[in-house]
Amino acid sequence: MSFYPVLAAPGCIGQTTLYNFPPNNWEDTRKESRCVNLTWVQDRVWCSVTLGELAFGAMQAYARSDVVAYVPEDALPLLSLASSSFPERSETLPMGTHGTHMPNWRATLSLVSPLASTCYQGELDPFPVPGSLLTFAPFMQFGPGVENYMLFLNLEKSAQARTSTVEIYDSAVPGRRRGSFEVRNNAVSVVSLDGMGIGPENLPVTICKDMSGIPLYLSKTADGACLSLEHTHPPASYVIHGKRWDAQKFLKKEWFAKLGQA
Amino acid sequence: MKRHIERLRRATWTYKQPLTRVPAIAGAPVSDLFVWRNSEEWETFFELTDLPALFAGPDSAGRNVAIVFFDAAGYSFSEKTVEITPGRRNTLALSAIIGNVHGAAGTFSVFHTHTPQSLRALGSHLAERGYVSYRYRGAPLRAYVHGNLDAIARLPDQSLQLLGGQSFRLREYHLQHSLDMQCCYELGIVNPTSKKQRIVCRTLSANGNTLGSHVLDLAPCGSHLFKVAPKRVQQRIVMRSRLIMARPLVFRVQNQTMDVFHG
Repeated sequence: MSFYPVLAAPGCIGQTTLYNFPPNNWEDTRKESRCVNLTWVQDRVWCSVTLGELAFGAMQAYARSDVVAYVPEDALPLLSLASSSFPERSETLPMGTHGTHMPNWRATLSLVSPLASTCYQGELDPFPVPGSLLTFAPFMQFGPGVENYMLFLNLEKSAQARTSTVEIYDSAVPGRRRGSFEVRNNAVSVVSLDGMGIGPENLPVTICKDMSGIPLYLSKTADGACLSLEHTHPPASYVIHGKRWDAQKFLKKEWFAKLGQA
Repeated sequence: MKRHIERLRRATWTYKQPLTRVPAIAGAPVSDLFVWRNSEEWETFFELTDLPALFAGPDSAGRNVAIVFFDAAGYSFSEKTVEITPGRRNTLALSAIIGNVHGAAGTFSVFHTHTPQSLRALGSHLAERGYVSYRYRGAPLRAYVHGNLDAIARLPDQSLQLLGGQSFRLREYHLQHSLDMQCCYELGIVNPTSKKQRIVCRTLSANGNTLGSHVLDLAPCGSHLFKVAPKRVQQRIVMRSRLIMARPLVFRVQNQTMDVFHG
């Protein structure tokens, strides 16, 4: 079972649309209503409340304003669909059982400005701890008034707060770090990518040596009339078949050794 | 017993029906079939990076990629070789390369000409699933979307092998997205199999009733954009075919703005 976060970004509000129907006709054939559970971290425990029930075939959008009565301002709202309500308080992340894999059961994760919106079809599963991140992101856009952000999205089973450091380099000059930022677990951490001296021909490489996450890249015009949102691939996606996870390990080892060592 | 029956049921959907088949030759490079669009309103860009150099280091002087372009019928009409520089980002403007005589949309694939030994030793194939961006009506920003389908391999004799598996039974792909009445949608679908595929795109109402449907026969390597203009709230899309995953690329246009994402 996956979670569906309500995102947040500068100049945008998050909106997440849940769907109580599977993405295919063969993996999960149950046609049942499901509870919409809202989960968040507060006082170092997972808190949950049931927002309602979604009939089979139904879809429902939730904005930050729909959950603000429950979730503290600095906590990440996590929506999910489950057969029953979750415990009100829990030491570890509550998990249900339903789901699909071809593809994963997804929601629409949107960022909405007053003039436009952008979205991706996504889900969020807890990452192993400590975990790590290596990604190459050719997403920055340039022009008058254009802003670029990385939204570092993390979820772990434990509600204990921890932080880590995301480092950004130019992959052609791996010895010189361009930026360093603190990120939090169980949160969406916003990193401004502008002002680091990265230009249109630079390929930024981003690492985090002890925390995994989904790196989302948002570009927006200052007035919010144009938005672009996409995530990068994990390194394992550069290969197919064979021992692809060994390929990812190899790439991480090579680049973690190379970056910052000049 | 119940568990055994469920395993048998699932086997009818999974046995010898891979999403992506293994290329015929070890080390052959693999690519997505990325959708290109080219018209007065649409421009297409591709973020070219030196993937082999990420694994093998910068000692890859003189290496390049081959970009093969297909029209909507799946016919390969052009190939372009582009030199790549390790550690550099190269945003390729594809519209100028494609020209204006091959239709308004089609697909392209990007094959790296070198597979690092470190990957060959793992029995893996280098896969280009990179990032495409689209500009709509000259907007100041492009909208990005990543590749997600390991669709086609290029063999050493330069021939192409489509890698998409085919289902024994008809499958439905239920797009988990609520169509907005204020928007117009175009749903891009490609055929990564070596056989012609019939695809039925149905629009459903909130209560599951069929509001409309389009039937399409898609040649191998072919592509199509289904146009949908929702007339009611909370409409959704179902794709029915023998493709293992008929996941569409969704273009959403609202007034002068555009968004693109994988379904």
